[in-house]
Amino acid sequence: MFRNNYDNDSGRIFQVEYAQEAVKQGSVVVGVVSKTHAVLAAIKRNAEELSSYQKKIIPIDSHYGIALAGLASDARVLSNFMKQQSLASRLTYDRAIPLSEITLRIADRAQTNTQQYGKRPYGVGLLIAGVDAKGPHLFEFQPSGVTQEMIACGIGARSQMARTYLERHLDEFANSGREELIKHALRALKESLSQDKELTVDNTSVGIGGISENFTLFEGQDLAEWLDATFENREAQDEGGEAMETDS
Amino acid sequence: MTSIGTGYDLSNSVFSPDGRNFQVEYAVKAVENGGTAVGIRCKDGIVLALEKLVTSKLLKPGANKRIATVDRNIGVVSSGLLPDGRHFVSRARDEAAQWRQLYKAPIPTSALANRMGSYVQAYTLYSSVRPFGVTAIIGGWDSEAELPVDGQVGSGPKVGAGGKKDGAKHSGPSLYMIEPSGLYWGYYGAATGKGRQIAKSELEKLNLADGQLSLEEGVKEAARIIYVAHDDNKDKEFELELTWISSLDGPTKGRHEEVPKELKEEAERLAKKALEGEDDDEEEEKMEE
Amino acid sequence: MNHFPQAWGRPRDDVYGSYDHSHFQTNGPNQHTQSPIVTGTSVVAAKFKDGVVIAADNLASYGSLARFTDVKRLRKFNDQVVVGFGGDVSDMQYLDRLLLSLDIRENYSSTENPLNAKNLHTYLAKVMYKRRSDFNPLWNHLLIAGLDGEDKPFLASADLLGTTFSSPTLATGFGGHLAQPILRKLLPDEASVERVSEEQAVEVVKECMKVLFYRDARSMDKYSIAVIKKDGVELKEDEKLENQSWAFAERIRGYGTQTA
Repeated sequence: MFRNNYDNDSGRIFQVEYAQEAVKQGSVVVGVVSKTHAVLAAIKRNAEELSSYQKKIIPIDSHYGIALAGLASDARVLSNFMKQQSLASRLTYDRAIPLSEITLRIADRAQTNTQQYGKRPYGVGLLIAGVDAKGPHLFEFQPSGVTQEMIACGIGARSQMARTYLERHLDEFANSGREELIKHALRALKESLSQDKELTVDNTSVGIGGISENFTLFEGQDLAEWLDATFENREAQDEGGEAMETDS
Repeated sequence: MTSIGTGYDLSNSVFSPDGRNFQVEYAVKAVENGGTAVGIRCKDGIVLALEKLVTSKLLKPGANKRIATVDRNIGVVSSGLLPDGRHFVSRARDEAAQWRQLYKAPIPTSALANRMGSYVQAYTLYSSVRPFGVTAIIGGWDSEAELPVDGQVGSGPKVGAGGKKDGAKHSGPSLYMIEPSGLYWGYYGAATGKGRQIAKSELEKLNLADGQLSLEEGVKEAARIIYVAHDDNKDKEFELELTWISSLDGPTKGRHEEVPKELKEEAERLAKKALEGEDDDEEEEKMEE
Repeated sequence: MNHFPQAWGRPRDDVYGSYDHSHFQTNGPNQHTQSPIVTGTSVVAAKFKDGVVIAADNLASYGSLARFTDVKRLRKFNDQVVVGFGGDVSDMQYLDRLLLSLDIRENYSSTENPLNAKNLHTYLAKVMYKRRSDFNPLWNHLLIAGLDGEDKPFLASADLLGTTFSSPTLATGFGGHLAQPILRKLLPDEASVERVSEEQAVEVVKECMKVLFYRDARSMDKYSIAVIKKDGVELKEDEKLENQSWAFAERIRGYGTQTA
């Protein structure tokens, strides 16, 4: 049976909806933009104590990168495609590919996978963040082929908590400096973590792109300072958070 | 619906015993949930308008444009599955580009509507695909002036018609709406999406067939209709997207463009004012199609 | 007449000699364009402190015949770039349509930055090089004039071999021999661009067009000239050479019937 059909009289396509579920299985990633920077932050998972952590942020071109939630192998297919398209843009036009354009290109590929026989939707959601000629951008990509430009976004397991944080601080992002923006991203990430977990230099990834700053991936000890600075007085922070929750 | 469980609705390109293709009907359902889209054919141009529901506070305001340009003089707005809408647009662009390669001239809007109708229809024929989950409105202005052939560098012979038919004219605004079945009609005013019923009855009041409505009035009416159609649904927040195409001597010079900020704001202001003044009681009679 | 049907209706071998089967051979070498047909001559261009001037005459020659006298060889791209075409006119028309389709694609979204002259030069150079690598060159020499990403004057060329070159002044065809020395007197190096005004640049380019008309038998006195600056392109397509003086012709010795 062909699976990419409409499934009932509501016009829904279950295969696509199931693919969206795969995104929710992935560990959380968040993205935020200011007027000058775009930041991605992610929680990395490891299969077992001794194994390495799954890569969550992939730099694509010098001006942007992606964060993924869901099937990492699907993300690899997409990221390879994005790398190739980005290089092609630099080669043929001597121009860094606009983020909106690369986003649409993968979106169109994803759409094809929802309308044709023998294909399945991608099981991965992406955040595409970086800087092009028009400044910093953040795009969200979903398996359905829906893409949206966002100010801030979180996808993956328990990402609703991160999104709630981001919505609360929405007005602060635009004028945030680089360090401030990173803190916001890390705090949003922390929100989505289950109670017994912490952000550590091992399980966290941060990607930063900015005007006159190439997109760079930060992992391991490079994160230590940011983590310390963001969560230095964790107790006070938590109380603050709770107070806010009773407010709303 | 009685179709569920019979199996006739599980595959595309299969008729049910009473002669229906359920996959197409389901696709129509996907459209009916989308934001309202409106197209108006004015005497000197086309207006396209879209109600974009804001699904998240985190969305960047004013970004995520959804009314697309095909070639330079045609606009497409659709309602339904967003990615299917983009697929539709990218095919329309390919058709327009292909037409230019062959004929060295822009594609007439009618020809584009015809080709897209055929394309969409093809997605109802095979079990290997599903029908488009969009209803698309195509609006275009076909140039009233004689355009140079693409790549033309000189003026050609000074005498004779140069192979061109004297006095032939196929210019002006045109508006089409294509449904998931591939069916399409030309319209004076077209509406699709959630608020289409109200939008349609509002469009009917404009007497568009008389060809009296000016482009600028059209812009204001389109904005108002989107606001009215939205108001009735008591939905969450939305953004209005407005584009237009004028004649060559008009404000857009025959191109499909966004309505300038000042005019758009003015239209939105008037729309909101009209809504406040309007009483709810006159809504009822408009409900029937 | 014999008993071999395959020979019936064919010239008799005993009269005409045996048939040359090489005529049946279809897998011989493929040949593409070996020479241009209808051609445009020089394109001349010079940078100045806030832009570029570019000019080309309006003639398309068929060999030595001045066949078309209203051919516009400067093509505008998205109001920020001008491409000047020397060489085959039909290949120029092909490229013009290619640029048109590119421009249409680029303008689907009104929010993205338009391609600048540098982007366009990179693109056209790729097109030219691809075609020459297919042994099917586009028989043109292009000058691309406009501004680069930093809004600085940009001028570069790409030719039928895919060769690219950039300089404060450029000229194609005959202009390479006759106009360049004149242009270089005003603009010897990149540093001198800053010191040259628009008026000076326009004047020297017009002067070059005149010299080219005096000396190049495939040129004419009607020409197009464009000035590209930050605020856009000013393109005039129906200019006429002014203040011609053929007095120098009297002094020319050594051509035709004149020997002393």
